Amino acid sequence: MNDRLRRSLVRVGAMASKETLHVLRDPRTLALALVMPVLMLFLFGFGVSFDLDHVPVVVADADRSPASRELVRRITGSRELVSAGEADPAEADRLFRRGDAAAVLVVPAGYGAKVARRERIALQLLTDGSDVTVANQVLSKADALVRAETRRLVGVDLARVDPPLQVKLWTRYNPAGRSALFMVPGLAAYILAISAVLLTALTVAGEWERGSMEQLFASPVGRLEIVLGKLAPYLALGMLELLLVVAFGAAVFDVPVRGSFALFLLVGLFFLVGMLGQGLLISVITKNQLVATQAGTMSALLPSLLLSGMVFPIENMPAALQLLSRVVPARYLVHALRGILLKGNGLAALWPDLLALVLFAAAVLALATARFQRRLA
Amino acid sequence: MSELRRPSARVQLAAVFRKEVRQTVRDRRMMFLLVAAPLLQTVVFGYAVDFTVDGVPAVVVDRDGTDLSRLHARRLLADGTLRRVPAEGGLAGAESALDVGSAAAAVIVPPRFGADLVAGRSPEVQVVIDGTDPNRSTVAGAAASRYFGEVAEDLARARLAAAGRTPPAQLALAPRILYNPTLESPPYMIPGIAAMLLLVVTTIVTAMGLAREREMGTLEQVLVTPIRPVVLLFGKIAPYVVIGFADLMLLVAAGAWVFGVPLRGPLAVLVVGTLLYLLTTLGVGLLISTISRTQQQSFLAGILFLLPAVLLSGVMSPVRAMPAWLQAITWVNPVRHYAEVMRSCLLRGAGFADLAVPLAALALIGGAVFALAVARFRTRLA
Amino acid sequence: MLGPPRPPAIEARGLTRRFGAFTAVDGVSFEVAPGEIFGYLGANGAGKSTTIRMLNGLLAPTSGTGLVAGHDVARDPEAVKASIGYMSQKFSLYLDLPVRENVAFFGGAYGLAGATLARRADEVLARAELRDVGDVTTGELPGGLRQRLALACAILHRPEVVFLDEPTAGVDPLARRTFWRIIRDLARDGTTVFVTTHYLDEAEYCARIGLMVDGRLVALDTPAGLKRTWVPEDVLVVRGRGLREAAAAVAGRPEVKNVVPFGAGLHLRVAPGSLRPEDAARLLSAAGAAEVSVEAAAPSLEDVFLAVVGNGARRAEGAP
Repeated sequence: MNDRLRRSLVRVGAMASKETLHVLRDPRTLALALVMPVLMLFLFGFGVSFDLDHVPVVVADADRSPASRELVRRITGSRELVSAGEADPAEADRLFRRGDAAAVLVVPAGYGAKVARRERIALQLLTDGSDVTVANQVLSKADALVRAETRRLVGVDLARVDPPLQVKLWTRYNPAGRSALFMVPGLAAYILAISAVLLTALTVAGEWERGSMEQLFASPVGRLEIVLGKLAPYLALGMLELLLVVAFGAAVFDVPVRGSFALFLLVGLFFLVGMLGQGLLISVITKNQLVATQAGTMSALLPSLLLSGMVFPIENMPAALQLLSRVVPARYLVHALRGILLKGNGLAALWPDLLALVLFAAAVLALATARFQRRLA
Repeated sequence: MSELRRPSARVQLAAVFRKEVRQTVRDRRMMFLLVAAPLLQTVVFGYAVDFTVDGVPAVVVDRDGTDLSRLHARRLLADGTLRRVPAEGGLAGAESALDVGSAAAAVIVPPRFGADLVAGRSPEVQVVIDGTDPNRSTVAGAAASRYFGEVAEDLARARLAAAGRTPPAQLALAPRILYNPTLESPPYMIPGIAAMLLLVVTTIVTAMGLAREREMGTLEQVLVTPIRPVVLLFGKIAPYVVIGFADLMLLVAAGAWVFGVPLRGPLAVLVVGTLLYLLTTLGVGLLISTISRTQQQSFLAGILFLLPAVLLSGVMSPVRAMPAWLQAITWVNPVRHYAEVMRSCLLRGAGFADLAVPLAALALIGGAVFALAVARFRTRLA
Repeated sequence: MLGPPRPPAIEARGLTRRFGAFTAVDGVSFEVAPGEIFGYLGANGAGKSTTIRMLNGLLAPTSGTGLVAGHDVARDPEAVKASIGYMSQKFSLYLDLPVRENVAFFGGAYGLAGATLARRADEVLARAELRDVGDVTTGELPGGLRQRLALACAILHRPEVVFLDEPTAGVDPLARRTFWRIIRDLARDGTTVFVTTHYLDEAEYCARIGLMVDGRLVALDTPAGLKRTWVPEDVLVVRGRGLREAAAAVAGRPEVKNVVPFGAGLHLRVAPGSLRPEDAARLLSAAGAAEVSVEAAAPSLEDVFLAVVGNGARRAEGAP
């Protein structure tokens, strides 16, 4: 038994070294595989953000009193909202269509007089609802600013008043609210998913097309041995990518690494095995590079981006999609990485994620091996 | 002896087009991936992407336990932004809930809250937010702040009134939201998702197409014929223009039917915009294929283009939120312009005049990329 | 029939092609007359395919000139392409298309359309004896039929010159015969055929043969002429056992020019008339061989090939 296992391992080793040589001999693919994570990191870190500044707001001031000008100054003087000039409310449509403004603040005639008379005043804010993110932020910010203005009026009136109630807000784990911290763990999952699935999908499908698979079947290498041998170099490459992402994240975006490094490597490993297996399964089924890449893209890239909790929270999705996300391994990695890197979570908190990853990896590998028929037909 | 000294470009184009169609349409798996899969994805992801933050799981630690504190707790949770989750063990329990992730916010009402409030002493409510998801934490924090802010304001006014003074003017924001009054995410996301899917379907496939012919050996046979480079390249992309348009119609129809995405603008804008966009995406695919030797290389190069193109397009996150230098770079990103055309036309009813700039940008980029691809294409092996 | 002599269909003058430091083709010169079947032989890597690729416009020559159907391959490759047909060494038609679609595509590439295309398609399929497999997917065709299809697609536009790079590689003998029948028909109709092959029995069909060794053209003549030049001796075909050891005894004799292992036996090259088969058999048996049988044979192109490649480099300096 021991001897058989040893010989099997030797065969796996031989396959793995052959595959590694293939990978090393293709510097372009290698460079791309290593450059891509760093590139993505920069893109995500700088490019994907929901912190909006300087949103252009057009003002329609029908009153033109000192009070109204003060109001306008306070609202458009904030960091988030800036003045994009003055216009008539009727032009809102045109402004929005051209993207010249995100909202039009309408100050009614008689504003100053009403303030003096201590009446209740409604300030209309025409908002471009087609860009939901911007609209939400504009509404939220404008609301806060208007309330602040009200409180200021109250304060001006009351010489000294203790606020009846105070609220103290503490933010944990990401006090500056930087998107980067939120993104990087999700990003790691995304990058790994893509590389793993697509690289393996291409290689094995490519071998089928070139006919070198036939050669392999004439040798005594077994199916599982082929599978493991082929995955080996890409596993190493994937771990390298993972380390790169986290290292750069820490260096450039100050993403902390609070938890256990060993646990971090473990979840990364099982995630990779699962995604590599997925790529392998696709290529074994399709045997065609063109089809394999399309199938790989559809099944790995988009679900990892949209259903993993990386950008959009899973709790907000309809029940059917929440269920679907349970078979997306990226979901577990994102949760685990966020826990380990940002919160310092350990195995006690994250064992369900690890288990899920292990199960997925095992299932996919079993499927791939089963479908890998060592006959040509 | 040779027939036809100068073969007609039209005949050559027809031959290439027919062959490409035959090869693509014959492959059922490809047709599924190119047509059915994008449709499926649009529907699924239309449901998945949701920017509205509500039901944030929150723990309320009421260390006062009076009727007044419980009243405020109920009112705080009334609008649904925060959703109460139970937690044992008071403060420690709340902390561990945040750590594990079963709650994203903890509202801590201090002891003697009710008594202090009535007596005019200023009690302090603490709100602890899990900042890992900045979007969610901002909304949760804002909801708590707004509620207690309102409470404070009402109390201040009541005191002024009790002291016999007229409370000052009260300003209120009356938002009127155009185009998408309930701020549903699908009308915002679906045009973007469509842009993204079209890119995935057209660029990668074209990029790999020529490389595939090179690998298979058929390119050599084609190069030895008098087919002109322009004809070959145009013929290669033509079927994907058709497929792209078919996809677009399906996606717009699905968006309208399933998610209520409106179609307010002129159809002509959509058609012209899509045509220009497809020209750029296919042109990029061709350009990539002229510089790659193998399918694997062209695929990786395609992905290298695709990822930044999608991320820096305004589809996932607003262009306005990017730093200025990055915003400048997005001007050469066709996805950005096309997403803008789609959103503006479908939701805001924008026409050619409003969208002149992004349409012109698409035309420029497409023309440049295509010209470059033709120039780089060699009719010799070396 | 008579008239002013026609210019050569293919003219190569000092054609050279280098890839970095490696010279694949070195100063090759020859002419091919219109309607001739010209054979091109050489070991793998000798430079045959590279020469063809230069002549059909796919590779630019590093130096030297080539004229095909009157067009300069370096200056006017597109005109060359329009006048020639080409069958590459590796099968390069679309495996996922049916036979008719491949024909239709390449016909269209050469500018054929409508009724003309339909007529020509029918003609070439008939000529290539592929009429019944018109709707079969190309990938499902056996090797021999695939090659015929490639040939059919190469002659759709009635080119003046057809380049065939190892057209019968891996094809069974019967299919090869059919293929060469088609080639001979083509030549009879006036098409110039430039063909490379490894099968030396096929090379006998060629009017003239060029032999390449390490990028240089070391021999160029009719098959008979080549045999006279390179194998001027008689050839004795020897079969038997224990020949290796016995051959050494015979090799030293003055009449014996060369002893070459051939299959399981030997070829003895002896000065014409100097040694009769019976005498050779006696000598070998005396030297220890058993069951010896010796026959006189006409020298074959295989003998020529072995002679050329064996000492081609040296002879090239002195050969005409």
